[in-house]
Amino acid sequence: MRATLTAIVLVAALAAGGVSPGAAGETAATGATTTGATTTESATSESATPQEVVAKVWAASRFLGEKGASGYAAFNSKDGPWVWKDSYVFVYDCRLDRMVAHPLRPDLVGRPVKQIVDNNGKHIFVDLCDTGRQKGGGWVEYLWTKPGAGSVSRKISYALGADIAFASGIQVAAGVYDDDVSTADLATLTDRMADPTKYPAH
Amino acid sequence: MAEQKIGNPAVVGLAGFGLTTMVLQFHNVGWMGLGPVIWLGLIFGGLAQMIAGLQEMKTGNNFGYCAFTAYGCFWIALALLLVGNHYNLYVSSRTDIGWFLIAWTLFTAILWVGSLRISSALALTFTLLLAGFVLLDLAHFGYPELTVVAGYELMACAAMAWYVMAHLIFADVFGRDVLPVGRPWLRGPSAPAPTPLKVAAAKA
Repeated sequence: MRATLTAIVLVAALAAGGVSPGAAGETAATGATTTGATTTESATSESATPQEVVAKVWAASRFLGEKGASGYAAFNSKDGPWVWKDSYVFVYDCRLDRMVAHPLRPDLVGRPVKQIVDNNGKHIFVDLCDTGRQKGGGWVEYLWTKPGAGSVSRKISYALGADIAFASGIQVAAGVYDDDVSTADLATLTDRMADPTKYPAH
Repeated sequence: MAEQKIGNPAVVGLAGFGLTTMVLQFHNVGWMGLGPVIWLGLIFGGLAQMIAGLQEMKTGNNFGYCAFTAYGCFWIALALLLVGNHYNLYVSSRTDIGWFLIAWTLFTAILWVGSLRISSALALTFTLLLAGFVLLDLAHFGYPELTVVAGYELMACAAMAWYVMAHLIFADVFGRDVLPVGRPWLRGPSAPAPTPLKVAAAKA
């Protein structure tokens, strides 16, 4: 019931102001970025590529498989290896419905995620969880605030499960901000990267 | 000089076994986090059950001596595995935990046979425990959704352990057997050896 209420309030806030998901916390987080690290922002002018996203997500899943729960903290660091260009890896628990680690949105960490809706009313993490559960993961399209930007953009994220002891719903994801690329194209790209032998060079 | 009455260590062992098993299943079905599981696992399911197990030696009960001491150690090891995984100390993967559970499944299978000679209630407790371990093994090798099934199944196991505990305590305080544990499932041609559970009931 409380979750439904929060979702309604969130939708209302989004409809009224056109702000990004998570409303209040976002302003604070963006504020901190602008005052704290101008250099980071100039670095984000370059865009992450889908290939980089896939490689980072695979590496993140493997890293958590080796490090277990002790690996979560690394994903909360803005300066760590899981933040690059305009993208970053975030970790969430689909079974316990919570954000496990997020380098740019500490306000979301530990909070329920499945109630989060974007400007189109899409339950982002419900989709991410369904897609990430598939073997080899998959791509999900939604609206989210690009780091350092004031408004929301189309984001396409690659979600993948992480095999960790004592936790069965952990997934990792990262995305590209792109107005054109389709999830189908990206699925082909992921397949090709996973098994290059299936796509012989001509 | 009258002989001083001695308590039955099994009441503490069964209490610790039942309570920590119950709390772990509250976590496995998704109701609560891991914090209380770790601390109860170390102190009640671990330390207290292990001490109860060591006290069983003096009662001459090899079954209780082995079972309580071993499952006490299981809880301490499980809690330390969780702590280790949190602090990057000898991190265990999902399959590492799977093999850990398989070893405990094999061990439980031996005690399960023993339990069949003791009482219906204890045989049921160990049957549920063995089935729970098998479900958790499968959950760690390709069927993660079985964790929840094992969770509910092992809650029944914990409740059965408490039933046997209540049998012992109530027989003591009421002066008669108010919660019978039933005859052994496995009865050979020779009469089964008297077990401490029965001895305790007889004493009371």
